[in-house]
Order: sequence, then C-alpha cells, then structure tokens
Amino acid sequence: MTLPWLRDPWPSTYAPLPRQDTLIVGATVLDGAGHRFDHANLLMRDGKVVAVSTAPIAVPAGTTTIDAKGRWVTPGIIDVHSHDGAFAAPFTSLDLQASDVSETSEPMTPNVWVEHSITVQDPSFARALAGGVTTLQILPGSNNLIGGRSVVLKNVPATTVQAMKFPGAPYGVKMACGENPKYAFGEKGKFPSSRMGNVAGVREEFLEAQEYRGKWLDYLSGERKKMPDDELKEDTLAGVLDGSIRVHWHCYRADDMATLFDFAREEGFRIAAFHHAVEAYKIPQLFVANHTCAVVWSDWWGYKMEALDGIRENAAFVDAAGACVAMHSDSPWLGQHLALEAGKAAAAGRRAGLSISPEHAIQWVTLNPARVLGLEARIGSLEPGKNADVVLWSGDPFSVYTRADQVFIDGAMVYDRSNPAHQPRSDFELGQPSMTDRPGVSGNGH
Amino acid sequence: MATDKRRLFGCLLAAGLGLVLGDATAADVVAIVHAQAWTMTGADGGRIDDATIVIRDGRYESVARGAAPPPDARVIDAAGRTVTPGLMNADTQLGLVEVSSVPETRDSGLNGGPLGAAFDVQYGLNANSMLLPIALDDGLTRAVTRPTATADPVFLGMGAVLRIQPGGDILDRPRAAMYAGIGGIGIGQQGGSRSAQWQLLRNAFAEAKTFNPSRPVPAPRDQLQNVMNIAALRAMLDAHMPLAVRATRESDIRQAVALAADYRLRLIVIGGSEAWRCADLLAANKVAVVLDPEADIPWTFDDLGARADSAALLAKAGVTIAFTVSGNTIQLSHNAGSAVREGAGLAVANGLPYADALMALTVNPARMFGIADHYGSMAKGQDADLVVWDGDPLEPTSAPKTVFVRGVQASRTTRQTLLRDRYAPSHAHDPLPPAYRP
Repeated sequence: MTLPWLRDPWPSTYAPLPRQDTLIVGATVLDGAGHRFDHANLLMRDGKVVAVSTAPIAVPAGTTTIDAKGRWVTPGIIDVHSHDGAFAAPFTSLDLQASDVSETSEPMTPNVWVEHSITVQDPSFARALAGGVTTLQILPGSNNLIGGRSVVLKNVPATTVQAMKFPGAPYGVKMACGENPKYAFGEKGKFPSSRMGNVAGVREEFLEAQEYRGKWLDYLSGERKKMPDDELKEDTLAGVLDGSIRVHWHCYRADDMATLFDFAREEGFRIAAFHHAVEAYKIPQLFVANHTCAVVWSDWWGYKMEALDGIRENAAFVDAAGACVAMHSDSPWLGQHLALEAGKAAAAGRRAGLSISPEHAIQWVTLNPARVLGLEARIGSLEPGKNADVVLWSGDPFSVYTRADQVFIDGAMVYDRSNPAHQPRSDFELGQPSMTDRPGVSGNGH
Repeated sequence: MATDKRRLFGCLLAAGLGLVLGDATAADVVAIVHAQAWTMTGADGGRIDDATIVIRDGRYESVARGAAPPPDARVIDAAGRTVTPGLMNADTQLGLVEVSSVPETRDSGLNGGPLGAAFDVQYGLNANSMLLPIALDDGLTRAVTRPTATADPVFLGMGAVLRIQPGGDILDRPRAAMYAGIGGIGIGQQGGSRSAQWQLLRNAFAEAKTFNPSRPVPAPRDQLQNVMNIAALRAMLDAHMPLAVRATRESDIRQAVALAADYRLRLIVIGGSEAWRCADLLAANKVAVVLDPEADIPWTFDDLGARADSAALLAKAGVTIAFTVSGNTIQLSHNAGSAVREGAGLAVANGLPYADALMALTVNPARMFGIADHYGSMAKGQDADLVVWDGDPLEPTSAPKTVFVRGVQASRTTRQTLLRDRYAPSHAHDPLPPAYRP
C-alpha cells in the first residue's frame, strides 16, 4: 500500500507540446553546469539535450536549424518562488478580502495544496515565459506558519493545472518564520503573536506528525493492527519527516534561520531552502553545513524590520562560502527578469572583489533552483540527456536590453518573440478593448 | 518665490561662508576630463565625447570637447566613461518612509483628520533617513516625494522635490504638485464610484475658484472642502502648481485631461498604464506622464492595457515622460535610485530611444516638477549634480564611480556598504564577532 502522504490524487497530465528536433548553431552557450562555450552548437532531439559542442554536430535530415550567431543560449530559467496563478491577475478588491494565495483562517494549514488555488488563465504565466522562465514552483503565501503544499509547474499554457504539473516533481511545503505569521495572527488576538510562539507552534505540529508517522510505519511493519486514521495535516509533515516533501521556509533574519536549522536537526529533516534569506550573508557556513540553499532577491530590502539588513552582495557572499544560492521572484514583474536578477547580484559581488563568471552566475537561476526543487537530474543544465528546456537570448542574458527570442520546453518551442502565433495569450486577455491596438499605434497589443 | 529666495540665500552662504557650513568642496573647481558627457541640453541628449566638464562653486560652468581643465581645478579622469547629470526619480516616498511596515516611520499618508488637498509632505521630511545615502550612492540626486492618501475621497495632498544631499537641507521645492488619486482597487473605500471621484474633484476646483482668500472663514455652509483644503487649492490655482493625477485607466486619463483643460491646470498623469491609448491627446494638451516601465501586467481592471512598450509609444507621440518603479512598492523608496535606472533600461529594451530614457531620468521630471531652472542638465549655471558611471547607466549591473550633488562629491558610505564590509568573505575567519568591525 501507499502511505497516505505519498499518494498522488491529482496526477500530472502534462504532455509536451508538438516539437521538432532542433539544432541551434553558433551561439554563446552557458550550460548551467558551470561551462561556457563560444560559437557553440546545441542539439535537441526528442525533447532532450543531445549535445553542446563547439565542433559541428551532424544532424539527420528534418532537423530544424537556427542560426544563433551573436546570440546566447542558457537552460530554461527556474523560478522557485512564484505566486502566479494563486495571486493572479487581475487582482481585485475581492482578493483583498479573501485571496487564493493563503488560507488565512488559521496559522497551521499543511493540509492545503496551492495547486487547488491556481488560475491557469493568469496572464502572468505567459509574461514569465517571455522572460525565459520554463519551470515555476508556486507557493502558498507566508501568513501561515505552515502554509501548505507547493506545486511545480512547467510554464506551458493549459486549461487545467494538472496539465501544467511537472511529472514526478517532489512536493514542497511552504513554511514561514518571523514577522508575517506573528502579525497576521497576533494582530487578530490569535496564536502566534511572537517569534517564540512561531517556533513553539511549529514544534508542536511536528511532534504530532512524528507520532502520526510512527503509527503508519508501525502499521506497515505489522506492529500495529488497526490502520491509523488519515489526517491531511499530518500527511504533509510526515512527508517532510521522511524526506519526500521538501521544506521551503520563508525567513529573513540570520538568528531566525539559525534557530530553524537546529529545529530541523532536532526533527530529523533537511530544509531545502530558506526563501528571501535577506541575512543569509551573515551565516553562510550554516547553509553549507545544512545543505540548504539560500533563495534570494538581488536587492530587496527595508520594507519591514526583518528586511532591514538586506545588502546587494547577499547572493555573492553566500556563494563565495560554497553554499547553494538561487534567485527568486515572489513577484510577477520581477519574475520576468530573473536572469537580470542574477546579473545584478553577480555585479554587486564583483564590485566587492569576488570573481564571478557569467557561466557561474547563470547557475543561480538554472541548476541551483533545480537543486532546490530536487529536479537537478532532469532540468537546470544543458547536459546530454536532460530535458531540452532552453532559452535562446537576443544577447547577453544579464543585460537589461536582452530579450528571450525563443523558449523551448522539452524540445517544443513554446515562445517565439518574432512570431505572434507562438506567443501564448490567456483567455482573460481576449476581447478586452483596452488591450487592442488603437489606430496609429503599432505593436502587437500585449 | 520662497524656493528661489532660499536657493539664493543658500548660494550666498556657499560662496561666502562655505567653510563655516562645512561644504567647502562646493566652492572648489572640479574638472572631469575625458568624459562621454550626456549634457541633456538638446532633444538628442546633447552627448559630447571626450568632454571636459567644469564645475565651479557648485554649478556647471562649461562642457566642451577636449578642452583643457582650468589651472585651479581638481581633475578627475573619467577615462571615456559615461557621465550624466545626477538622476531624478519622479515618484517616490523618500524622506517620508523609513521602514514601510512600521507606521511611526511612515509620514506619507493620512488615514483620518481634516486634511485633504492641504496635506503637505514637506513638514515630515527626514533628512537623516538611511535610505537617502543609498539612493545617492546609486546616482539619484533628486526625487519627487509624494503623499499617498488622505481621508478626502480624491485628494492625496501636496508632494515635494528633494535634493539628495548630505547635511540636512534636502527640500528642493515644496508644493511641487497637488496629487489626486482616481480609481484603483481601493475605490470601494472612496465612495464606490469613480464618477463620484470626478464630481468631487471638479467640485473642489469650482469651490476653489470662487473662494475668497481674504475672507476665508467661515466657508459657506454647504461647501464640501474645509477652509484649510480650499485655501490650499486656491493657492495651487494661483501658483499654477501642477495637478498630478494617479490614474491608470484610459477613461480616467481622458477625464483628467478634460478637467485640466477646464481649469487651465498643468496636468501630470502618474501611473498611466493605458496612457498610450490616448498618447496623441496627451501630447496635444502637453500632459506629462510618469510611468513605471516594469508594469506590463493587466494587474487590476484599471491596468488592462498595461504594456511593456508604453514609454516608447508615448515618446513617439511626443508626450513628455519620466519614470518611477514600484516593484510591489518595495522599490519605490528603498531602491529609488537603482530601480528607476533599471526601469529606464527596460523601456529602452522595449523601443524607447536611449537619449529619451536619459531625459526621462533628468530634464523631463525637472520640467514637470518645476526645478528645471537649476537642475536637469549640464547647462552653464545649473546645479552640478553629476555621476561618473562605471558602465552604461541604464544597465542595472552598472554603478556610479563618482557622484556629485550641487558640486559636492558624495560619500560612498551607506548602511549597506558598512554591512557589506563587515560581513565580507575575507572576514570569515576573524577571531572576534562582526560587532567589533567598523
């Protein structure tokens, strides 16, 4: 039998879009695995990367060839912290009262799954795609101590969320420390109302989950005769305890994160990533020792007390210590410019005296976020056999002037900047007079 | 005007008593040589290569290709780098907001009380804000700082222009614009219909026109605007203060144009997601637009027409534009310098000519908000706000090498650089905790 937390009630129905074997010729390739190839060729076949080489690659007839001289190629960009679809456009005053991104009725909601909140017609998905984003992790919001399960999506247009779900991607759980939970609930006179309350609440919840998981394991081993009741809240945390569900913890301050590193050790699980991690640069050695990624912005700071010490060298300093760093968006606007985020963070590091190559910095938005998701064997780099998630950029991906010319997911071209027929447009955007061109105004209307 | 008197007085002090004031460097002569100077003195950005830029007594004296620096000048070799005037962000809350989530550090808006149009942000400015050195370090030397809300259904109050200089004297121009806000998802708290907002706004100007400042009290019993607010509106009309309308929907932008025509107001549209849809109308009526170039998502029903090439479309139609970047409101003040440059770069990536983007960061907002007589270009006599860039200023990976404000070279130390230096990887094995480092 399958343990209840390992069941897959809403399985992926994703199927790659129609695809064509493609050879990209003459590009500067940052492969995501730390290498740079100049004047290089990339072959995609049957949805997989076959080769990246500076030598000519022989291809069978029928392979599409793209001349990419002067252009750059990277793996598809991975955003491990998006709320697209859950915090969807158009945002309305009704969402102010009851948004789909957080279940705000109580602080502990490990039983909710954000995939049930996703509006697949959110126009933000296609805009992220135009920014080269091929994989997104959608997270519940950070009001709750335990906010619920995340979902990993392929950034393909679809009419159901199942059709976007990344097949076989591990689930994650969103948790939050610090100011958000204590204010979200403390201001209503509810628990928690303090940082110590935050930690106590999560500890209590995990104690129960340990007991719950123990019952199931005893039942499986035959020590227990009666099948335990299935508890949705405990399922998610039991999955955390056995390593099948990855922990994504919203947390800003070094002291808060250090507390939670110890807590995770006490409970026997690994934190996949601290998200936002504005003060990660103060404790980079703890990220190394705990095999946890710091998922950060390039420059957000100051909008609340726990963000006061944000510095632009955060990513570079954590990286310099040998820890895993990834950039994230948390915003549908920023989510269109994640490569630029990596560029900005790397530039700040260089200005502080560190040596950070483009082929290294691109990992902050490709292979490292793939590691955060537990998908590093399938995406995040252009090594042979990996999924052909590829972005062909008009130039240096770290330049503000560069655009994604073409984006491929599993070898299928899902976005082409020069061809409106290959630019997905959500249902919401149809028939909106404000989006159509006016006489004398040129452009494609979105 | 009060501002001009203050400026004149300031100049006399700088010239005669500079040492006493402690800004002796303002009286220095500085020459930046081998600069790629964007002087902002022509419609094409006034680029001069291999320029020698001379600053004397805090002001631009000359910019000339290959000229020899004056013998008494301190010489800075730009080595071919791009040099621009200090930049200006056209919509921030700098000096009014320290930590956005902490109410007592936020003086940008009201949630009650009698003040509407009369709310004037100049009295709450905090020259010791830790955000200011960071903005300056990013090459931002001027910024509009503006109100966010009052209890009035439409008026937000009056904004000011800041000069971001060390030493406390940051108010460049008070009452630079009167702000009104129309529509948006908060409309339910403002009466429930934007029709009412427009009717109330129009009524306020009608009342202001007939208001007699010499007999201000009592106001007629059925007058909606109280005496403080009506006096502020009347003073606004008399001073030709621009009306800055925060609106994004096309219908509201058109209503604003009609209102401005009826009352002969100088109109600035703030936001303007759909302004491109009436670009010709805006150009014909000399309406300026402050845009957020990142805002390309139909985020609310007021922004359905948002698009990445708005800036390019507006500029092509001849509309004067300037920039702000909200970034979920996080970038509005806390990265007011870096984010607005990045926004300008994105506008260029989406078709805006490069020189137009630089103008939208300098002379354009200077003209919109009434400080073009002393800031915005390298024309002789203008305040010597200047940045030597280590790369293309519109690339967010670039940064200033040297910043001057009114002829004074800015310190490059900020709270962020101190944290950076304290936690630099080279300190990883220091025996003492970071608290013992500078």
